[in-house]
Amino acid sequence: MSDYLVEMKQINKAFSGVKALEDVDFNLKPGEVMALLGENGAGKSTLMKILSGVINRDSGTVKVFGKEVGDLNTKEAQKMGISIIHQELNMCPDLTIAENIFLGNEIVNKGLIDRNEMNQKTREFLGRLGLEIDPEILVGDLSVSVQQLVEIAKALSFDAKVVIMDEPTSALTSAEIERLFNIIQDMKDNGCGVVYISHRLEELAHITDRVTILRDGKFVIEGEFSDFTLDRIITNMVGREITEQFPRDPGVRQDIIFSVKNLSNGKRVKDVSFDLYAGEVLGIAGLMGAGRTETTRCIFGVEHLESGDIYLEGKKLSINGPSDAIAEGIVLIPEDRKKDGLATELSINDNLALPNLDLVSNKFGVINQNKEKNLVDSAIKNFNVKLASKADNASSLSGGNQQKIVIGKWLSRESKVIIFDEPTRGIDVGSKVEIYNLINELKKQGVGVLVVSSEMPEVMGISDRIIVMCDGKVTGEYLHDEATEDKIMADATAFEIKK
Amino acid sequence: MSEGKTKSRFMSTKGARSVMTAFIGFVALFIIFSVLSSNFRTPANVQNLLRQIAPILIIGLGQGFVLLTGNIDLSIGSVVGMVCMTAGTLMTKGTNPLLAILLALSMGLLVGVLNGILVAKFKLPAFIGTLGTMTLARGIAQLVNNNRNTDFIGTEAQWFRDSFYYGDILKVYNAFWIGLILLTVFYFILSKTKYGRHVYAVGSNINAARLSGVKTDNIILSTYVVSSFCASMTGLMLLASAGMGTMDAGGSYEMYAVAACVIGGISTLGGSGILLGVLPGAAIWGILQNGLHFVGAPVALRNIVIGIIVILAVLLDIVRGPALSKKG
Ligand SMILES: Nc1ncnc2c1ncn2[C@@H]1O[C@H](COP(=O)(O)OP(=O)(O)OP(=O)(O)O)[C@@H](O)[C@H]1O
Ligand SMILES: [Mg+2]
Repeated sequence: MSDYLVEMKQINKAFSGVKALEDVDFNLKPGEVMALLGENGAGKSTLMKILSGVINRDSGTVKVFGKEVGDLNTKEAQKMGISIIHQELNMCPDLTIAENIFLGNEIVNKGLIDRNEMNQKTREFLGRLGLEIDPEILVGDLSVSVQQLVEIAKALSFDAKVVIMDEPTSALTSAEIERLFNIIQDMKDNGCGVVYISHRLEELAHITDRVTILRDGKFVIEGEFSDFTLDRIITNMVGREITEQFPRDPGVRQDIIFSVKNLSNGKRVKDVSFDLYAGEVLGIAGLMGAGRTETTRCIFGVEHLESGDIYLEGKKLSINGPSDAIAEGIVLIPEDRKKDGLATELSINDNLALPNLDLVSNKFGVINQNKEKNLVDSAIKNFNVKLASKADNASSLSGGNQQKIVIGKWLSRESKVIIFDEPTRGIDVGSKVEIYNLINELKKQGVGVLVVSSEMPEVMGISDRIIVMCDGKVTGEYLHDEATEDKIMADATAFEIKK
Repeated sequence: MSEGKTKSRFMSTKGARSVMTAFIGFVALFIIFSVLSSNFRTPANVQNLLRQIAPILIIGLGQGFVLLTGNIDLSIGSVVGMVCMTAGTLMTKGTNPLLAILLALSMGLLVGVLNGILVAKFKLPAFIGTLGTMTLARGIAQLVNNNRNTDFIGTEAQWFRDSFYYGDILKVYNAFWIGLILLTVFYFILSKTKYGRHVYAVGSNINAARLSGVKTDNIILSTYVVSSFCASMTGLMLLASAGMGTMDAGGSYEMYAVAACVIGGISTLGGSGILLGVLPGAAIWGILQNGLHFVGAPVALRNIVIGIIVILAVLLDIVRGPALSKKG
């Protein structure tokens, strides 16, 4: 038996002539966590898709457990003990949690599917992640974060020797992340190898043993994690130094531009009120399921309001759907990019143009191609989207670049209030800074910015003011300088104290 | 690589390839039948063939709109019958032909509005909702003239028969011209306007479309209205052709319409395909009917052949899609 669980050498892969990987080397030892890092589009997911048999390499050798393997398919890879948590959630929305977890590996008893057994096992898997939920709920009804936990539970159900986690925590809050890390520790102790891809660099220190860094499809460096500082990692990823991770321009707070009063939707939003000032960034912190996303969806008219009022510049609004909100100058950059943010089978061009067609068409609705081209090209340029052709489907982009499209499509128009729900999900350090700078720019223009974020350093770093939500209610409010992680966590878990 | 200005939306989509494939298929069939039958390759038959294509082309355009949003319209075949019978009955009862046309047309549009409300507002699955109106419209077709086909619609309506079917411009029958005009207008709307983009967006991801400010309910409703308009035009065309209203006019046309769309590369899953594809799609349908007739094949065989072609077209589409992305 060799020292390595996985050895990949000189891997090449191109998509329609564009190189995604060029002579990349990668290895993984038993009992370790290897962090695979790089900017958006660096080729991390592509490399791991090759290892797990989702796509085939153009050239290069792959050894698993010391034995050379040819092109695998996903089933074969799974049989060999390689399991992957995909970056893009890959589940059937119309099947239950248990059915998704056992998809393709159903437990059969005398030729019939054993529901009880499957549900029981599912409860066990989810329980390890600290999730107590009915295994018969349809996956389509779950929030992104719970879906992500289900996806993790699924990967853990295989008893794999090699577990690949492609941004497993992008939608999770600290409590679930901690549980995940405990599970990863268990796996390490049992001699599993874990490949861990993440843009949340702060969390690496808890689990990482070694790092491999890619840039533009090429191998840059590999080494012991203890030999790296965060700055050195970033410099290797980005190819330059980043001085400030959370640039914030204090700016000048102007008048109240937007308020919500006593919003309730009969579900998770319970009597939410807050004001937003022009030229202010208001962060909303909280745990998974605190009702933050639902609040933004109520404001934007995606979900029905049972009671409560919304005011913009002192005027009471009646919003019956997103088109009304947009017409008033309120836009929402949604959390779930696959479901709400992108039409993945439409071109990048059409996705960027979609909410802005009113700006590029005449009064008969005929699109002016030049105007459209300018709008789309400048969005691509502003966000530094890495793409082969804007006529390609949005699904061909790397996860982080898809997220840039989700944001970019909304910033070509002038808005008064912009709501970001987990805006930097899956975005690399360099691009995060660009987005924060952009938020600062919006502030200067007098836009009211609302940012929902589960990343504590982010929400504390960029917000002028923070409100904390717990169990559908606002439980705390702090100015930038007053906020500490402890205070926020206390408010975010306020319901447990009350019970 | 970078796609430049010259590469239009048209050529950049997978749909464009399907249109080309369908067109080449049509040319191939044309050559085969020309070799096999000397009666087929006469100028008169080519004129006829084009006219034969027209009703399926037109009804296919409407179905295409609905398919692009990811829905389906099963009622259109019955709408053909209903409009044909309604206009025919009115004309035989002495109503001014123009008025009869307008009345029948508005009834057709009403079915479209009803479909739209059922699917968009009440969220009925399109298959079920339009299955209901399919039966309903056929019932009306039978009811309007007491369960009998109509008599001859009279010489007063001769202008109507000429303008919808028998007349010609530049040796091409009007029926085909009407189809071409509708194709051009609708293609322009779908490819060059805001509305058209919204149609594609709804079919591709209705949630994302709604969150981008698209009034998704209105878009779905409008496609059903377009679809019933096209079906009504087809109904009038069949009336003009036969000179009398028949209760079973348009039977199975909803399926022929789907066939024309699918052969032309419009995906039944929504969001992808180009309306231009309906032309070669309908043309293949028409040439098989016409050509197989000239080589002496029975009706049953024609249906079998068309069925096989539809399945092949879909298979080709499926095989081409994922296989491409896997290889990269
Ligand atoms: N199916 C595909 N078709 C065309 N190009 C693709 C496809 N999949 C990936 N690419 C391209 O390959 C490159 C690497 O993508 P990959 O998804 O591996 O990046 P990544 O490192 O995982 O980035 P991120 O951090 O954003 O997830 C990107 O430029 C991407 O656009
Ligand atoms: Mg990735």
